[in-house]
Amino acid sequence: MIKKLYEYREFLKTNVKKDIRGKYKGSFLGVLWSFINPLLMALVYAIVFPFILRDTQEHYVTFIIIGIIPWNFFTTVISQGTFCIIANASIIKKVYFPREILPISVATSGLVNFLISLPIIFMFLLFSGIGFSKYIIFLPIVIITQYILQLAIILITCAINVYIRDAEYIINFIITMLFYATPVLYSPTMFPESIRWILRLNPMTTVIEGYRSILYSQTMPDFSAIFLALGIAVIIFLIGVKIFKHLEKRFAEEI
Amino acid sequence: MENAIEVKNVTKVFKLFYDKPSTLKERLVFWNKKKAEERIVLDDISLHISKGETVALIGTNGSGKSTLLKMMTKIIYPTKGKITTNGKLISLLELGAGFHPDFTGRENIYFNASIFGLNHEEITKRLEDIIAFSELEEYIDNPVRTYSSGQYMRLAFSIAINVDADILLIDEILAVGDQHFQEKCFTKLEELRDSDKTIVIVSHSLESIKKVCKRAIWIQNGKICMDDKVEKVVNQYLKECK
Repeated sequence: MIKKLYEYREFLKTNVKKDIRGKYKGSFLGVLWSFINPLLMALVYAIVFPFILRDTQEHYVTFIIIGIIPWNFFTTVISQGTFCIIANASIIKKVYFPREILPISVATSGLVNFLISLPIIFMFLLFSGIGFSKYIIFLPIVIITQYILQLAIILITCAINVYIRDAEYIINFIITMLFYATPVLYSPTMFPESIRWILRLNPMTTVIEGYRSILYSQTMPDFSAIFLALGIAVIIFLIGVKIFKHLEKRFAEEI
Repeated sequence: MENAIEVKNVTKVFKLFYDKPSTLKERLVFWNKKKAEERIVLDDISLHISKGETVALIGTNGSGKSTLLKMMTKIIYPTKGKITTNGKLISLLELGAGFHPDFTGRENIYFNASIFGLNHEEITKRLEDIIAFSELEEYIDNPVRTYSSGQYMRLAFSIAINVDADILLIDEILAVGDQHFQEKCFTKLEELRDSDKTIVIVSHSLESIKKVCKRAIWIQNGKICMDDKVEKVVNQYLKECK
């Protein structure tokens, strides 16, 4: 499988390029939308939430931005990824190529988009006076964990979505729910210790908390949690590959 | 002689649904209604195609020729049996797969050729040949959506034919472009045939098959009806079909 993927690396590359360039083609502000979207979202939350939560974090806008941009990365990849096989029905029916290239390129173009929007976080860190710490060298570990986790999830969801079209709606619902179960707008410390473990079951909590401790509170990230999340991500990934390989044989007939 | 394509006891069954359940609700509600009807498209077929052969698959509509071709390409998989292919394979099932209308002809050459598993340098090396063959020099930097359908097909065919695969699978696409371009395609096909490429063609255009191929396989109702020299098979086929 890896040999085949290497053979088709050019297709992966052009597909990622097409995703990124094609996404905003024809829109006036183009790639700027990858910046504006999370900014506007953060702005709305930053205005509303201080009223709902009585005591918010210091530098609340920066706090939210650090949560929202990775969360955005997550939702874009999951919702686009779930759809990626069906969206490419025309080429699946006509040409042979390793099918897993499609979810991989969705995950990768999401990653590129995320990396492009990282400077926004850096700007907020700079202007809020938080600045940078040496822990930033651990940032790639968190990003890789998130990337593998997302790829693992969409390998499963995109294959299932071909057979059961409801998957899309179910997943969109889960994502909306998960938004509140992930400390994007709040900090887990707001919950009593006794129920905090529920949040920890969600690997995205670990990911967002990882970004937060590296960038916001500038402390050593909780490596035991991150490696646990990475381990879970790898296991889901391996299961995902199995499921995908099993289901891909009838993609062309089922679409 | 080494085999380029080996088809061993292949059976393909399609499930036909009158109402295909595609949502969860339908699956739950109709789970016990056996609405699926099984249709055997190919029934225990075995055949070998050696390296360098040019073979035509003929038969009436719905006889399973295209299904066989699709299985050789690995777009669909046999229900039973096994198909092995040797060497780089390209199928010209439908041309222009993966073309993006907003990108230029040149960019689309990269997209389309990369689906066939070529890397950047390999495409760049072939770029001039592809453009020259398509005769679209003037338009190559325009977006593909501005192309006429004939120009679109010409570009697509030029890419596919220049990939340099060992095995070519062609499905009913010998009618590309205008008279001049069609003749050019034929010359190219004959040239490929005389090199050591393996070519499998599905077509209803019996005259052109006679020109290009040496061997023909007649498939009828999912079984191989006849497998012999092209003239013999075509003559017999014409006799029976009347």
